[in-house]
Amino acid sequence: MVACKKFVITPQRKERFNMKIADTLRRAGRSLKQAKARTLLTSLAIAVGAFTIMMSLAAGEGTRNYSNNLIQSNVDPQALFIVQDDSLFESGGTASTGLREYDADVSEQGGRSLKLMNQEAIDGLAARDDLTDVTPTYQLSVRSIEFSQSDTRYSAEVAAYNPDVISEVAAGKLPEKGTSIAADEIVLPEGFATTLGVSPEELIGNEVRLTIVQPSSTLGEAEAREVIATEGVEGLARRAQGETRTITTSVVAVTKQSSTSFTATTAASVSAETAKEIAEFTTEGTDSYQKYLGVTAKAAEGYDPAKVKAELESEGFSAQTAEDLQSLIFTIVNVLQYIVAGFGILALLASLFGIINTQYISVLERTSQIGLMKALGMRGRDVSRLFRYEAAWIGFLGGVIGIGLAALATALLNPFINKTLELGEGNYLLAFVPWHALVLLACLILIAIAAGYFPSRKAAKLDPIEALRTE
Amino acid sequence: MIEVRNVTKTYGRGEGAFVALDDVSFEIPDGVSVAILGKSGSGKSTLMHIMSGLDSVTSGEIRINGENIFAKKQKEIDAFRSRQMSFIFQSFFVQGKESCYDNVGMPLEIAEVPASKRKELIMHALNSVELGEKAKSKAKDLSGGQKQRLAIARAIVNNPKILFADEPTGNLDTTTGGIIEDLLFSYNRDKNATLIVVTHDPELAEKCDMQIIIRDGRVQEIRDNTTAKGKI
Repeated sequence: MVACKKFVITPQRKERFNMKIADTLRRAGRSLKQAKARTLLTSLAIAVGAFTIMMSLAAGEGTRNYSNNLIQSNVDPQALFIVQDDSLFESGGTASTGLREYDADVSEQGGRSLKLMNQEAIDGLAARDDLTDVTPTYQLSVRSIEFSQSDTRYSAEVAAYNPDVISEVAAGKLPEKGTSIAADEIVLPEGFATTLGVSPEELIGNEVRLTIVQPSSTLGEAEAREVIATEGVEGLARRAQGETRTITTSVVAVTKQSSTSFTATTAASVSAETAKEIAEFTTEGTDSYQKYLGVTAKAAEGYDPAKVKAELESEGFSAQTAEDLQSLIFTIVNVLQYIVAGFGILALLASLFGIINTQYISVLERTSQIGLMKALGMRGRDVSRLFRYEAAWIGFLGGVIGIGLAALATALLNPFINKTLELGEGNYLLAFVPWHALVLLACLILIAIAAGYFPSRKAAKLDPIEALRTE
Repeated sequence: MIEVRNVTKTYGRGEGAFVALDDVSFEIPDGVSVAILGKSGSGKSTLMHIMSGLDSVTSGEIRINGENIFAKKQKEIDAFRSRQMSFIFQSFFVQGKESCYDNVGMPLEIAEVPASKRKELIMHALNSVELGEKAKSKAKDLSGGQKQRLAIARAIVNNPKILFADEPTGNLDTTTGGIIEDLLFSYNRDKNATLIVVTHDPELAEKCDMQIIIRDGRVQEIRDNTTAKGKI
């Protein structure tokens, strides 16, 4: 019983301990106030580090939020991008060795070779149960585009309509999400109306003619003779020039430029059928006929896109899910964030020497005070605690200054960044997260206490007799 | 009762060894005022440090109320010092940048006196040295005599049983020194606390009940006036 009693923490003992902590904290605060300039300067060094780290956290968080927004409004979580050649995802194609065996499915460009997906593979994918909406990535080239409002011929980019992204419309109406526009319909960006000098409303229902051209074919002598025999010289001339076709569509909607949209902000969008028609017509007779970079598809309802991806990969395809895309963007953001945070940590490291230095000077200056306190019965560990708490106060002060400035900078810079980068309403690249700030502050205090360890040990070991002999 | 028994203190070893105290023995009854008188370098300060447990002995023991303090752990000696002893120094050692109130409060913090009781103790101590009105002033704004009064307030705030004063009037003029002496002796009388004054001033020593004269680390003479003054 008696032996046990020693280890029981009685309420009084606990209260006394709390009192001691409170007293020491107060005394530490008072000591710092007596050297205001020095305390402030030391904590400003920490504030620089705290500010940098807080800003990097805010920028990372903000950018992740923004890209998350972007991805969620643009990419269906079930979506998959499937290609034949996995080197596309890594380096944009395999570095070419120069000379290689002929393969109709391999395209060579800019020193990189890339295996393309052929129609057979696409048909195979489309037949699968776990995939729906298999759409090749059509590369569309349109020679010219004409509007009923104007006699001028224009050139413009044309892309396949993405039924999963609903853009804001300036005029007209888009079908519901997931539903494509009709084959004879076209969606124009608002910029077109501006160029044409008409209002978006005026374009709705109007005719847009797309002119596409088949590449000129090089005919052998026998073929040329045959063409002349059947179609005459004009036929041959037409072949040499390339056949043209005009696709007539009507404008169903004019979209606004959107800040959270990846695609089609400067291109006219046509339906998948029209896109196929254009792609096939313009590549007919060439090596790239019915060859595509890959397909976009969706994991069928009830299938996990990650599992579908794994299965596709076991069959020699390469696929990316919406999640992969997100993590790719996040990786970039994270790396940038680490670099900035790294500078902050360096600044913090430098400031630690400031704390150590300041506290050493403080110990020297207060030798007699330490001696007196020890003479009056203060224990070495309590003296040490006093100096560690002083360091903690410096860390706290520096943290509050740095984080406060970061909060201020976030509030002031956000509207400016938003305006400069035209991010659109409510999108901010800097996000100040309160719990990040609290964790950072706690870390700073701990780091400061660690830095205060050496000076505090010196204080604790001070011989009171020697100390009281000075002055 | 403080018993000093065969205390020897040697600094260094071998040929370079210096004997600061050589077989010092005497007894101090409770509640008396004692002067430890000696020239500088005689070992009187070392003796004070050893009696208060701040310094260790090479051999011998210090018994306070029958207990050898050197048999205790450092933690217990520290706790004992914070509750039973206090000090006054020649150069005051008041904390100039702190208020008088905070200066006096320090021993209470160290002795872990509950915060609720502190204010009364502090104001009582300040009033007894007539510095009650200066409670909020910074200590550095006080005159020399006021600083030593503040030091006395700090020394007596926790009602110590033993009060050490190391040349308490050494830095003060005669008039101011006189006030300080009066304060010390009245505390000694009123609280029946032991007052140990370390000094080289024979006049101050004369005013004490006992004089222990130290020379070259040895007790040269002990004069006991306690019976003459009607004490004990």
